[in-house]
Amino acid sequence: MTGEAAYLSALKEGLLEMDYDKMKKAAEEAMAAGVDPLKAVTEALSPAMGIIGGKFQSGEYYLPELIVAGDVMKEGMKIIGPYLRGKSKEPGQKLVIAAVEGDNHDIGKNIVGTLLSARGFEIIDLGVDVPARKIVGAIKEHRPVILGLSALLTVTMPKMGEVIQALKEEGLRDSVKVIIGGTSVTPEFARRIGADHSSTDAADGVEKCVQWVSSGKGG
Amino acid sequence: MAAMTRRERILAATRQERADRLPFIHWWRHMQTGWAERECRNRGMGLAWVRPSHVTRMRNVVVTEEKDPSRGPGVVRITYSTPKGSVYVDEKREPGTGEWHANRSWLDVTPWHLKRLIREPQDYEVVQYIVENTEYLSDPFPIEQAKEWVGDEGVVLAILPKTPMARMMIEWIGSEEGRFYIHHKKYRDRIDALYQALSKNMEALYEITAKSPADYVWIGENMEGLLVSPPLFEKYFIPEYEKCCRIIHGHGKKVAFHMDGRLNVLKNLIAQTPIDIIEAFHPPPMGDLPLDEALRVWKDKVIWVGFPGAIYSLGTQAVKEYTLNLLRAAVPGERLVIAMSTENLVSNEHLIALTSIFEKADLPLTEEKIEKIRKALT
Repeated sequence: MTGEAAYLSALKEGLLEMDYDKMKKAAEEAMAAGVDPLKAVTEALSPAMGIIGGKFQSGEYYLPELIVAGDVMKEGMKIIGPYLRGKSKEPGQKLVIAAVEGDNHDIGKNIVGTLLSARGFEIIDLGVDVPARKIVGAIKEHRPVILGLSALLTVTMPKMGEVIQALKEEGLRDSVKVIIGGTSVTPEFARRIGADHSSTDAADGVEKCVQWVSSGKGG
Repeated sequence: MAAMTRRERILAATRQERADRLPFIHWWRHMQTGWAERECRNRGMGLAWVRPSHVTRMRNVVVTEEKDPSRGPGVVRITYSTPKGSVYVDEKREPGTGEWHANRSWLDVTPWHLKRLIREPQDYEVVQYIVENTEYLSDPFPIEQAKEWVGDEGVVLAILPKTPMARMMIEWIGSEEGRFYIHHKKYRDRIDALYQALSKNMEALYEITAKSPADYVWIGENMEGLLVSPPLFEKYFIPEYEKCCRIIHGHGKKVAFHMDGRLNVLKNLIAQTPIDIIEAFHPPPMGDLPLDEALRVWKDKVIWVGFPGAIYSLGTQAVKEYTLNLLRAAVPGERLVIAMSTENLVSNEHLIALTSIFEKADLPLTEEKIEKIRKALT
């Protein structure tokens, strides 16, 4: 293995083993050795995260592994990130994601966000308990191709409809695909509020987003 | 033979004996007291009430509550000060909290924590001190009172906190931004020490509750297979369930665990536990394990179904169709109690719709009986 390949391999290994110390050391050594930071991301970290995401979707890994892997990757990015500045990184397709007002459950949203990051999307995560006006503001600012709305509680589900209504009022509805998620959402509910797709399963939601973008049907 | 009372039906089903009709209940904390609820109870709907049989005391821990408008509307900071330091939670209380059923808002949402008790590694030592200085005293009055009030209309369950790891994961550390899993990776020794301290501390409470006059013991576990992976369940949950059930069974009482999440991934592990009642079981679309499969996998357990709230959003006809399918999955209808909801408010119309089906569900259920019920609805 050449010098650069060895550094990339060490980065990949640190992430696949979900080892904070290994990741930190590999990232520091790679950057000190002058490894291209873009390659560190696109040829080491992203493929490793893709492997972990695949294992999660196939049931070999569970949520703890997915979350920890995402955090270990962040640890590496803390070191690699500053070296990326000024490099021309092709941005991924943008996706805004939020748990609607009144709902502070973020696990489902975070899983989908992590898996979509691994598939090359640029995620703008607005967090939890997000009012419709803030979501509309984010759509105006970031111009994403997809908006993901999450609600766990049946009492907060109607807020998803309010967001879609607000998008219509601002003339933004046709600019973005809307996917809704949460254990209580159904295709009937999605149709009623005017969403494009509903999903109770992260893997299904991710595949739908990838499908939209691949077929050029993003917003 | 005289018809069974509502209470007798619940007790029979939970003893795994045949009731005359399928027991169906409404939880007091979710119930709309009024004309529809009275009509449904007159037509056979039972009551289930959860109350504590203990009081909790903390030594050397000063608890203060502070409302600072700058933290947002309805946000209360609760600070626990101990000789080891202090920790706090920021709790958001929606309108209605404390004015209605239990600690629920008008929309039936319990307060949520904007900032959790444990956020930093140093918080573990403080919380462990609190745990080690928490004691429980028996107080049977709330149970005795509820039993007297409820009478033959239903059952009363003694509430326990979540088991140690569920409490740490869901309440104290939280899963927001994956905090629990990240802490579990980084600070495993602290998590395990707190878990052990809490497990030891809970033994006295299991004993008190087991001796209470309640019909059953209820643990608000909120089990969710997405959050609790099988390895975590095996390591931290099964041993505690075994201990808890051993103590409570020793006093002749059954234990109900509130398991309202997706349980498919955990179904075989749950089958290995000595849990008596899987309470709040949600069939699809909210859960991911069909009722017939759950009854098949958990042969020695009783299932108290929580009617999935998502169905209520689809309208009365959908509610009726779903309920008939639920009965088909439950044939012959044994080891089963159905609750109108464990999550949200049920409209009067839906309460009546469910009752119009369950009141006719004589046991043992058969396809023919269900078809007869369906025809009677049209």
